[in-house]
Amino acid sequence: MTSADITRTTTPNTAEPLLVLSGVTKRFPGVLALDGVDLDVKAGELHVLFGENGAGKSTLINVIAGTFPPTSGSFRFGGEEMSELTPHEARAIGISPVFQEFSLVPSLTVEENLFLGREKSAAGVLDAGGMRKRARELIGELGFDLYPKARVDSLDRAHQQMAEIAKALLGNVKLLILDEPTASLTERETGRLFELIAKLKTDGVGIIYVSHRMREIRALADRVTVLRDGRHIKTLDAATVTDGELVELMTGRKIDVLFPTIAHDPGETAIEVHDLSTADGLVKGVDFVARAGEITGIAGLVGCGKSELVRAIYGIAPIASGSVALRGKLLDRLDPRTSLRRGVAYFPANRGVEGLALSRPIRENVSMAALDLSRYQRGGVIRRAAERALIGPIMETLKLRPPNIERAVGDLSGGNRQKVMLGRAMARDLDIFLFDEPSVGIDVGAKVEVYEFIKRLVEQGAAVVVVSSELPEVLALSNRLYVMHHGRIAALLEGAAKTEQNVLSSFFEEESREKAA
Amino acid sequence: MSDANLTATTRSADLDGKTRDRRAFDRSFGQQWLRKLALPIALVALLAGFALADDRILTSYNLLNIAQQTSYLALFAMAQMVVILTRGFDLSLGPTVSMVSVGAALAMAGMGGGEAGGLVVVTAALAAGLALAVACGLFNGVVVALLGVSPLVATLGSMNIAIGVATTISDGRPVQGVPSAFSQVFYTGSLLGLPIAIVIALVVGVALAFVLSRTVFGRSLYIIGTNPQAAAVAGIPVKRLLVYAYLLCSALAALGALMMTARTGSGEPNLGGTLSLQSIAAAVVGGTSLAGGRGGVATAVLGALFITILSNGMNLTRIDGYVQMIVLGAIVILGVVLDRLRLSAR
Repeated sequence: MTSADITRTTTPNTAEPLLVLSGVTKRFPGVLALDGVDLDVKAGELHVLFGENGAGKSTLINVIAGTFPPTSGSFRFGGEEMSELTPHEARAIGISPVFQEFSLVPSLTVEENLFLGREKSAAGVLDAGGMRKRARELIGELGFDLYPKARVDSLDRAHQQMAEIAKALLGNVKLLILDEPTASLTERETGRLFELIAKLKTDGVGIIYVSHRMREIRALADRVTVLRDGRHIKTLDAATVTDGELVELMTGRKIDVLFPTIAHDPGETAIEVHDLSTADGLVKGVDFVARAGEITGIAGLVGCGKSELVRAIYGIAPIASGSVALRGKLLDRLDPRTSLRRGVAYFPANRGVEGLALSRPIRENVSMAALDLSRYQRGGVIRRAAERALIGPIMETLKLRPPNIERAVGDLSGGNRQKVMLGRAMARDLDIFLFDEPSVGIDVGAKVEVYEFIKRLVEQGAAVVVVSSELPEVLALSNRLYVMHHGRIAALLEGAAKTEQNVLSSFFEEESREKAA
Repeated sequence: MSDANLTATTRSADLDGKTRDRRAFDRSFGQQWLRKLALPIALVALLAGFALADDRILTSYNLLNIAQQTSYLALFAMAQMVVILTRGFDLSLGPTVSMVSVGAALAMAGMGGGEAGGLVVVTAALAAGLALAVACGLFNGVVVALLGVSPLVATLGSMNIAIGVATTISDGRPVQGVPSAFSQVFYTGSLLGLPIAIVIALVVGVALAFVLSRTVFGRSLYIIGTNPQAAAVAGIPVKRLLVYAYLLCSALAALGALMMTARTGSGEPNLGGTLSLQSIAAAVVGGTSLAGGRGGVATAVLGALFITILSNGMNLTRIDGYVQMIVLGAIVILGVVLDRLRLSAR
């Protein structure tokens, strides 16, 4: 049905486009990541993939790069049907991807990385000289300021990005896939990349370009395909489409999960952050306020610093400069232990890594952030009966099924694991809650329970901060919504201004402000 | 009725999660029993095997001998187990034992040796041993926890330092003049008919079991070993507790060192010898996981018993000492391989 929306070029062209996907579907356990997507890329064309986080862009480029096969649908490249394509074969036939997650080996040099897996050799002996020469030629051709003998882990992100691009262009490239390639490049390097793209296009290379940046789409794109919720929405001619049209197509209407109606009753200021920068540089000069009795949302793309902001408030991300005040009191030290004593809880996005001790029982995982309280211990000796008597009912309120608190957390499903985390919040008296991606990795039913839990907290007068990459989630839950971009606050949206379109346009405005500066 | 309501309102996705939960539970339950019984069965088999080869093995004299010998290794295995729980280990344990041995012997000699009163002598030995243990444990703990050096490198370094100190302060020779009062307290004495070494090991074992299972400190060690990042996020003072763990390890090693010094009757600069490896072997074979968070007093003691029976049996059946070293080395590796298998079966 959606295939009818494709605007095909009207010029009669007997030759098949370089890449033709039709009806490509990709199903992961429990998720339909791609739902009958059509896409064609011609030789010498730059085709932009446009869509929100989770729209299916990465899944699509991964299918094309051979990372995993589509569940169904046809995938033709250079006139031939591709089945059982592996990443290695994909490279061999000229499909070269540059992902956001770099594929470089940190301990090897740039030139070693370029030839990784396709080393030149003669009689089993590496042809180091030949490889070095070719690496130099290529880097020279690209005009990158990159030293071939530098170890990758000594390079900053921008230079690693250059090495990654150089790696993709080594050898015979017919289709280049670039996933937000300018995210860590400076203006000058971006210019170089654009020149290079123009040259590749005249050489007849087809390019798939994933980007959120309007300016780049304007400068480079021939056609734009909009994806949403894993579906192909529309393919448009870049010359005629307007920015507004693209944003509208990207956001569209969604099949929402049922968000609860939350009665916000903003009270006193609970958290006040002033001019805060983190040591890792991901948060830069942020001012932020969260009040009791309301949910303060923080939206932004992956890597915008939203998560680091709450981590800094809780005391896990070291602070370079700026201040944090809780309930009007300026804090001189921040660490998880003192944060908990001050009534602040943090729920990490990655529960397996930062939240839970998987082989330990539920009981211990729930009480572990509260063992300093005299309810749970006396003189360092745990009061086991009291612990069981306190934790049991908590997990009962959270509807843990089966209600056995002695089982190892590692045996639980994602939803139950999140309940263990929520239980931890009830194990001691807290009134400031920092949620980092609260619904990631859990099913719809558990999501609703998490939202209900957050609703109860707020209505009891707690201050809640929700950080989320899922725009509908933060929009629906929060009373005030901060939008972060590249470590800074791009906007604070309240009331009627709190719309998806405003969030997205504030990304773009911030983007152009940055470029102008 | 509430059950019916529940099924009516649960979503299919959630149901899947629950069946998964239950299956995993059944599976791990069976595995736990297998894991718990494997070593005792191996122990009985080992004893029976040696008994067939030599009828001196199962005499009450030899069994008491085994129990007494196990006490020493059990202490060191318990010490090692405490840090292994936190994903660490202490290669300097053996040299710490040597260092404490000569240090305590020198302290006793300095107090006048046999001339001084028993209480003075024992206090001097305890003070010297404890001071050296604290220095060692603090060094290891600070280097591992605060400076972030891997336990392998940190304790490999302190191992050499301890060997150096032990040899330097003793001039590389045994320190004579350990008074009989000291031997009385730590070796020849007995309580309720049990040799003092067994009594000390029992008391320490019970106390340590209590600390690990009933105190906030013990609970925290398991959580740190299972997931150090989660422990930090939950406000557990990870670095401080790691230092304590290394301190406790060295303190237990020092206690064992005093007992061994009392047994040999002199401060020996190479008393520790292969104890680092033996104690790690005992802990790991007993079921303490080098990946952290799994193990306890029982795993350390069972492992120590296993290794003691093995070397006792090998001694009685006249297996060459160097061959025994080969066996011990193989056992450490076997223990670690078994641990890997247990973890990957999950």
